[in-house]
Amino acid sequence: MIPKVNQLIEDFDRLGYVVEEELATVLLLTLDLNKPILLEGPPGVGKTEAAHIIASLKNTELIRLQCYEGLDASSAIYEWNYQKQLLAIKLTEHENLTTHQKEEHIFSEDFLMKRPLLKAITSDKQPVLLIDEIDRADEEFEAFLLELLSDFQISIPELGTIKAKHRPIVILTSNRTRELSDALKRRCLYHWINYPSFNKELSILQKRVPDFEQDMAVLLVRFVHYLREMKLQKSPGIAETLDWANGLLALQFKSFSEDDIEKTLGCILKSDPDINLVKKEGIQTILEEIGA
Amino acid sequence: MRADHYSHYHSLQEAITGFTTLCRDFDLKVGLNHSQEAMELCQYGFSKDQDTFQYALKSLYCTKEEEFESFDYCFRTFWNKKKHNYNHTLSKNKTKTNAAKHNKASLVMAGFNPKGQQPEPKEDASQVTGASKIEALKKTDFTLVSKMDSELLDEIAEQLLRQLNHKLKRKMSVSKTGPVDLRKTIRKNLSNGDALIDLIKKNRKKDKYRIILLLDVSGSMDKYSFFLLKFIWSLKSHLKNIEAFVFSTTLIRITEFIHQDQIERAMGDLSLHANNWSGGTKIGECLKSFNDQYAKRILNGKSITLVLSDGLDDGNPGLMRGELEKIKMRTSKLVWLNPLKGMKGYEPTAQGMQAALPLIDNFQSAHNLDSLLELENILTDV
Repeated sequence: MIPKVNQLIEDFDRLGYVVEEELATVLLLTLDLNKPILLEGPPGVGKTEAAHIIASLKNTELIRLQCYEGLDASSAIYEWNYQKQLLAIKLTEHENLTTHQKEEHIFSEDFLMKRPLLKAITSDKQPVLLIDEIDRADEEFEAFLLELLSDFQISIPELGTIKAKHRPIVILTSNRTRELSDALKRRCLYHWINYPSFNKELSILQKRVPDFEQDMAVLLVRFVHYLREMKLQKSPGIAETLDWANGLLALQFKSFSEDDIEKTLGCILKSDPDINLVKKEGIQTILEEIGA
Repeated sequence: MRADHYSHYHSLQEAITGFTTLCRDFDLKVGLNHSQEAMELCQYGFSKDQDTFQYALKSLYCTKEEEFESFDYCFRTFWNKKKHNYNHTLSKNKTKTNAAKHNKASLVMAGFNPKGQQPEPKEDASQVTGASKIEALKKTDFTLVSKMDSELLDEIAEQLLRQLNHKLKRKMSVSKTGPVDLRKTIRKNLSNGDALIDLIKKNRKKDKYRIILLLDVSGSMDKYSFFLLKFIWSLKSHLKNIEAFVFSTTLIRITEFIHQDQIERAMGDLSLHANNWSGGTKIGECLKSFNDQYAKRILNGKSITLVLSDGLDDGNPGLMRGELEKIKMRTSKLVWLNPLKGMKGYEPTAQGMQAALPLIDNFQSAHNLDSLLELENILTDV
C-alpha cells in the first residue's frame, strides 16, 4: 500500500466509512486521473455509497441521475420551461419588441430547466456526478453519454455550447442486468464490488449502529454471511444487515434467539420462497452452524 | 505464447507496452490509450507498491468481472520479482484444449454428427423445383434438407426474418391518438407565432421486450441445433435485446458471440468457446445454473423466455420443474419450442416434457422454417 492510499482510508474512516484497500486505490486513481469510474456488483454492496463517500470527502455537491428505461435527453440534460415561455409570449404581446428580442427573451437561462447532467457541468465547484444504474437506461442514452464523458460539453441549439467549468467526478454504477457497450467501458475505470468480508461488515455495523451489542453483532454478521452462502433468490446486502440490526435494536431484543430471528426475518429476506427456504433449513440449525 | 517478463525491457514505458501486449494476447480489450494512462498512473506514484499497482492497473485494464482472472494471471507472470516458466506449459495446454473444443463443435456446425449417425435420406424437397420448391423447403424438416438446398434455405430464412422483423417494428410504432404533447406542439408551431395549429399527440412508448433463448445442443438435438443457432443469430441481428445460452450438461452464455455481423465469424467464435456440444442432457441442472447466475439480472417483467429443446432429459425431472417454476415467476412468457413436435404422431411423453408442460405458456414446434416464423405471433402478442 502506498502512503496516499493509506491516508485516504484514514480520511474515509474519520468520515464514518469503511473502505477496503482495493476500492480506496481505485477511488484515488479516479481522483488523480480524473477519469470516470464504473462500479459493478450485486445490489446492496455500497456502489451508490461510494459516490456519497467521495462527495463528503471533497465536501462538494452530489448530483444524482437515476437511470430508467426510456430516460431521454430532456429529462437528463435540460428542458425549456414551455409553460413559462408561453406565458411570457402572452405577457409581452403588446410591448414594442422585435421578434428577435422576444425570441432572445424566451430562450434565456431564466426559462431553462437544468436537469442533472447540465447541472453537473455548470456547477461552480467540482461536483460528484452519480449516474446510477446505467444498465437500466436504453442503449441510445448510453451512446449520448459517451459524448458527454469524453468532452464534458453540452450543446443547446438556442444557447450554444456549454463547456464544463469544472470537470465533474463521474461515478457510474451498474447491476449488470445487461452488458454495457465497450465504448463506454473503455472510457471508464472499472471496479467490481463484492459482498464485504466478515471483518469489514462487522466494522461497518459497529460504525453505523454503535449501540448494537458486540456479541450480537458478531452473530448477526455470521448469520447474514451464512445466508449469502445459501442459494437465495435475493441475497441480503449490507443495507439489509444494517436494517436488521436497527430493527432488533428498536424492538429491544437482547438476545439473538430463534424466536427473535423468525419474527424479524422480513428485515433481510424479501421474498416468500427465500423465507420458506431458510425456515426449512431450520433457524436453529443455522444458529448451531455459526456457533451461537 | 512467449513468457514475457518486465526484466526483458529497459524502461518502465517499454515494460508497460509489453504488459499491455501480454494482456491483449489474453483477450483483454486494451488499446493504446490504456498504456498511456498506465504511464500516467505510474507518474502519480501508483507503481511504488505491488498491490496498489495491481489494483490500479486492474481497474484500468478490465471491463468486467470475468476478466479479473486473466488479468491477475498476466500481472503475476509479468511483474513478479522472480521469473518463472510455468506459463509456457499452461498456455500450451490452453491452446490444445481450444483446438479440441473447436473440432467437436465445428463438426456439428458443418452438419456432421459426431456420433456417426447420418440422418437417413427420406422424402425431401430436392425433387421439386421453382416457386413450389421454396414453399416446400419452408415446410421441410431441417434434418431432411440436403446440403445444396441448405443455401437456398438460408436465403429464404434471411428474407422471411427480415419481414418478421419489419412487422415487429411496425407494431411498436406510436399511434395517432392520445393526449396532446404540449412541448412538441409548441416547438412545432414556433413558426406560427403563438397560434397552435398543428397538434402533436403523444402516446406511451411501447415497452421493448427482452428475449431470452435457451438452446439445447445435446446429442439428441444435433440435427437441429445448427439451424436453430442460425435462427438465433438472425433474430439477434434484427432485434437488439436478446440474450442467448446453449446448454447440454453445462450452460454457456453465447450472447457476445452471436453479436458478430458475419455468421461465419459468429460460429467460429462460438465453436472456440462453447465446449458442451453433443453431450448428454441435464436440463434441470442447466436451468438451475441459469437461475443462479443470470436469472436475477436478466429476467424481468418484460422478458420472453424461449427454450429450444426436445425435452429428452437424463437428469431429474423434479429439479427441472422447480427451476422452470422459478423462471416462470420472473418472466412474462415462457415458450417451449420442440423440434420433435413437428413429427407426426408425437406425444410429449418424455419425462422432462411431461414435467414442463403445465408451466409452459406456448408449446410450439421448431422443425422447419414455417414453424419458426409462427413465433411472430408469440413475440408480438404479449
